Amino acid sequence: MSEKDLKNNEPQVVEEFEEEKLEQPESDLRQEVAFDDTAVVSREKRHMGMKAKTRAANITIYVILVIMSAVWLVPFIFIVLQSFRCESTYLTGYVIPKQWGFDNYARLFTETKFPRWFLNTFIISVVAAVIQLIMVLCMSYTLSRLRFKGRKALMNAMLILGMFPGMLTMIVLYRILADAGMTQGNSIAGLILVYVASSGMGYYVSKGFFDTIPKSLDEAARVDGANRAQVLYKIILPLSKPIVIYTLLTAFMGPWGDYVFASYVAFNVSDGYNVAVGLQWLISTPSNIAANYTIFCAGGVIVAIPITLLFMFLQKYYVEGVTGGAVKG
Amino acid sequence: MANVKLTNVKKIYQGNVVAVHDFNLDIADKEFIVFVGPSGCGKSTTLRMIAGLEEISEGTIEFDGEVVNDLQPKDRKISMVFQNYALYPNYTVFENMAFPLRLIRPKMSQDEIYERVTKAAEILGITEYLTRKPRALSGGQRQRVAIGRAMVKDCKVFLMDEPLSNLDAKLRNQMRAEIILLRKKINTTFVYVTHDQTEAMTLGDRIVVMKDGYIMQVGTPTEVFDRPRNLFVAEFIGAPKMNTFKTNLVKKDGKYFVTPFGAEIPVTGQKADLLAENGIDSQEIILGVRPEHVVLADKPSKETIRVILQVNEMMGNELHLHLLTDDNTPLIVRVPTMNLTDEFRNELVMGKELYITFESKVMHFFDTVTEKSLLYIDKEEPVQEDEEEINAE
Repeated sequence: MSEKDLKNNEPQVVEEFEEEKLEQPESDLRQEVAFDDTAVVSREKRHMGMKAKTRAANITIYVILVIMSAVWLVPFIFIVLQSFRCESTYLTGYVIPKQWGFDNYARLFTETKFPRWFLNTFIISVVAAVIQLIMVLCMSYTLSRLRFKGRKALMNAMLILGMFPGMLTMIVLYRILADAGMTQGNSIAGLILVYVASSGMGYYVSKGFFDTIPKSLDEAARVDGANRAQVLYKIILPLSKPIVIYTLLTAFMGPWGDYVFASYVAFNVSDGYNVAVGLQWLISTPSNIAANYTIFCAGGVIVAIPITLLFMFLQKYYVEGVTGGAVKG
Repeated sequence: MANVKLTNVKKIYQGNVVAVHDFNLDIADKEFIVFVGPSGCGKSTTLRMIAGLEEISEGTIEFDGEVVNDLQPKDRKISMVFQNYALYPNYTVFENMAFPLRLIRPKMSQDEIYERVTKAAEILGITEYLTRKPRALSGGQRQRVAIGRAMVKDCKVFLMDEPLSNLDAKLRNQMRAEIILLRKKINTTFVYVTHDQTEAMTLGDRIVVMKDGYIMQVGTPTEVFDRPRNLFVAEFIGAPKMNTFKTNLVKKDGKYFVTPFGAEIPVTGQKADLLAENGIDSQEIILGVRPEHVVLADKPSKETIRVILQVNEMMGNELHLHLLTDDNTPLIVRVPTMNLTDEFRNELVMGKELYITFESKVMHFFDTVTEKSLLYIDKEEPVQEDEEEINAE
């Protein structure tokens, strides 16, 4: 292709591209209308090519989405179905139960220590979430609003420390907890300590959010007679609902699903297990799998329920634009 | 209600940036003080130090003789209105205004809170918005709420940090008038920060003109307008700004003349007396002439300057003519339109040749090096000067 050809081609390409961009939203609109109104169809003809293209694109996108959701959903559906299987307890070659029933759930609560594990996990998660929430919010507010010596250094240090995986400290932590008598049967206290100890380091997200709340709100409140704690409690937190919810959820989910630390700290004493460790123990050997597989599935479903409820309940607090009208705008 | 005394107050940021130098000021009880100056002059910083929102690097701030340097803002018994309103978006207007009252210990009764808030709302004309959230209000309404929140509680000092600068021009004029009325009702000590010299002139009992962290002049609006102590104050106060340019002051047979652009204009009246009193001799000076003191002359003479009209701004009641002298010095003149003939006004287009002279009694003279006034010389230390002015009132 000569240089001249290249030059001639260029504007054409640009034109085509612009046309596409301009017409796409229009034809989208018309498409919607066309379903109800056949009169539009004649006008549509001109855009037939365009319409076909859009449709092809949509079909592609939907196909991809369907495949992705199938990949995501299959394990969940599988587990739920298995948990209702009554005819056998071992792994089978089919998915849909031949006999439906709540046998597995009943056995889970009567024949295993699942209630104990569930309670353990629940206590650990709730306490850890609350303590972690308080620590993270105080930390974030401090780093966002107060200026003190070493603030930058502290933030950098925490950033770097946060990059090391928590597992690194496991052996040392176990030793310390064991000496303090917070392992095995007493794992609740030990695990809470492990989960909340460094939680202040997770300040990034909420500090970033606090930074977007105008400082003059703090100042106005302080002039109005509030101390720092009141500013945080009465002004900043009500404006930060989404971030409080986010912090609470992540703080709750960590301990709820943790396996590594929980199994390590509980160390073979089943009273100290949390749900993850307990359920894993149910299928830890081939004979266990044969005896408990469907019970394990029922446990999985039960474990998912609180998290699902929590999400459904808290989702509505993710409100955007909560700071509207605070300052000029 | 309190008198506020700032002694050698200094603000140093991060070890080396000095925002406020040696600020000395004695604010009388129930006085309305305005800090005015261009951005970055330290006026807001000083106000924030009074509020307790900024640490005081050096010096002391006293309310009624009590040093408040180390008091938290909440313990200083102040109220403050912020430039960006700073309303609490999560609360209704009523709760915004009740907020300071709810924090008072021992607790204030619900009835009293209700009474105070509704009374303030009534004064400000925002009663009908009490149940709304701030985001459902217009800029002017938000500003009223901010003022309302500041006025519900009893305070020693009422601080305002550029409260009108986010409003449009018309609303600003209206709110300015309202603040003057409000002041009569609240009757406490006011410190008001603005960069707008009109606000400063119209609101203040006294004006503190600041530049680069220094106080340039403290005085009543009349004082800073009529008797500017230095070139900066002369140029900053008054709109359009004063014409200033280098020229010569000549003393001939005990009489003073200025010789701008080849003309010879006599200096008469009180200004001439003051020059003589201060023993000023012939020298190069910076001459300051306010636009309203430039006079259009009918025909050229020894006292007139030839200028070319550049821009004619029609303000309604007056014209602002932007002129250029033969050596390209820009001048501005204000001409009232009342007595002008239509014919003459039609002739005022770009390129028109005009002759001007200056009112002989109201010129200002500044030293070319120090830029201080040759008429009004500070004879004493600034601290005492402030006290003198207080006493004079």
